[in-house]
Amino acid sequence: MLLGGTISTPPASLRIRSTLNPQNAVTQSSQAAFPAAMQRQPPSYSISDEDLKSRGFLLRRTAEGLNLDQLNSVFVAVGFPRRDTAKIEVALEHTDALLWVEYEKTRRPVAFARATGDGVFNAIIWDVVVDPSFQSCGLGKAVIERLIEDLQAKGICNIALYSEPRVLGFYRPLGFVSDPDGIKGMVFIRKQRNKK
Amino acid sequence: SRKVKSLRLRANFWESIRSGFVKNNNSTQLVEPPSIVDDEEETEPLLPVEFTLVERTLQDGLIEEIIFSSGGEIDVYDLQGLCDKVGWPRRPLVKLAAALKNSYMVATLHSVMKSSSDSVSDSSEGDNGQKQKEKKLIGMARATSDHAFNATIWDVLVDPEYQGQGLGKALVEKLVRALLQRDIGNISLFADSQVVDFYQNLGFEADPEGIKGMFWYPK
Repeated sequence: MLLGGTISTPPASLRIRSTLNPQNAVTQSSQAAFPAAMQRQPPSYSISDEDLKSRGFLLRRTAEGLNLDQLNSVFVAVGFPRRDTAKIEVALEHTDALLWVEYEKTRRPVAFARATGDGVFNAIIWDVVVDPSFQSCGLGKAVIERLIEDLQAKGICNIALYSEPRVLGFYRPLGFVSDPDGIKGMVFIRKQRNKK
Repeated sequence: SRKVKSLRLRANFWESIRSGFVKNNNSTQLVEPPSIVDDEEETEPLLPVEFTLVERTLQDGLIEEIIFSSGGEIDVYDLQGLCDKVGWPRRPLVKLAAALKNSYMVATLHSVMKSSSDSVSDSSEGDNGQKQKEKKLIGMARATSDHAFNATIWDVLVDPEYQGQGLGKALVEKLVRALLQRDIGNISLFADSQVVDFYQNLGFEADPEGIKGMFWYPK
């Protein structure tokens, strides 16, 4: 069975297990007014979608309506380099899942996170940012919790990220473990040219 | 000398990939430096998609060619067989196929056996079909990527019968070079403790600037 051509139907024994969230079956009264477009009940988050909405924060799961220049500004505000928006667009097109928070009043992104991967086994979370003016009120947590849930709903079990030392304390309570079993995150360090 | 690393450039490089958030009182805006390429990389010709890594003569006049390819042509049954050989737990074939399809780059090592008499008859025009060359998958590595900034290498494996010959090193080295030539600035991976040294020798650094790899509820 060569890749690149059509893949023949696998035998029944190889059928993939359902990736539906088992909590689908649970109906919560507080979710009674849940929009029809959503296909499953979300699990309990630290802050519910409704709470966020009541504070003027809208959750977005696609790049539609996301102003990349404004996103870039948030990146810069937290200390990331300003990146080419054309490149950001390419990156978002090849992103498995993303989540951003739109501040209703200004219609601007105030929190963002995305994940890349192979769509079945592994995902890595990148570019987790919260606008400094909106930090410390649960938006980062809200974004990560939901991104993880979305990845899990796709059946992805291996979710990883690279964390700066000072935010290890942010990720740990969310369920992240550093160096499990001694596994180390490693990065290729390109040799830099010696400036003449 | 290429050994000198500009610390400031390195800091900027790392800024571009960290996934945390920081209260930044610094009004200085960082601008991503243009793609800084090593002398060697700039003058080196682009890696062809497929090329011979090693060619050696075995006993009985057989010639073995080890071929590297970043073209991603791989039989998923062969891959599963290879995963079995290295003792990895089985994964559903359909998922394996999907993972390969969704990978930005799949690099493979194949061993091709031919008898020395083949090379004589190959010289004749158009006369190529006499013997089915035995082509065996002996190594693989793949990378996922957002096609712009980051790539992560997964599933590096070499047939145990072919280990200890520098093939794993070559596999990763060529994959990295192919990624760099596509202008992917950040190449990362997660290494089991016993292979950290292996990757260090290939230019990877663990926990650069204290940045830690983290997993969500790992098993």
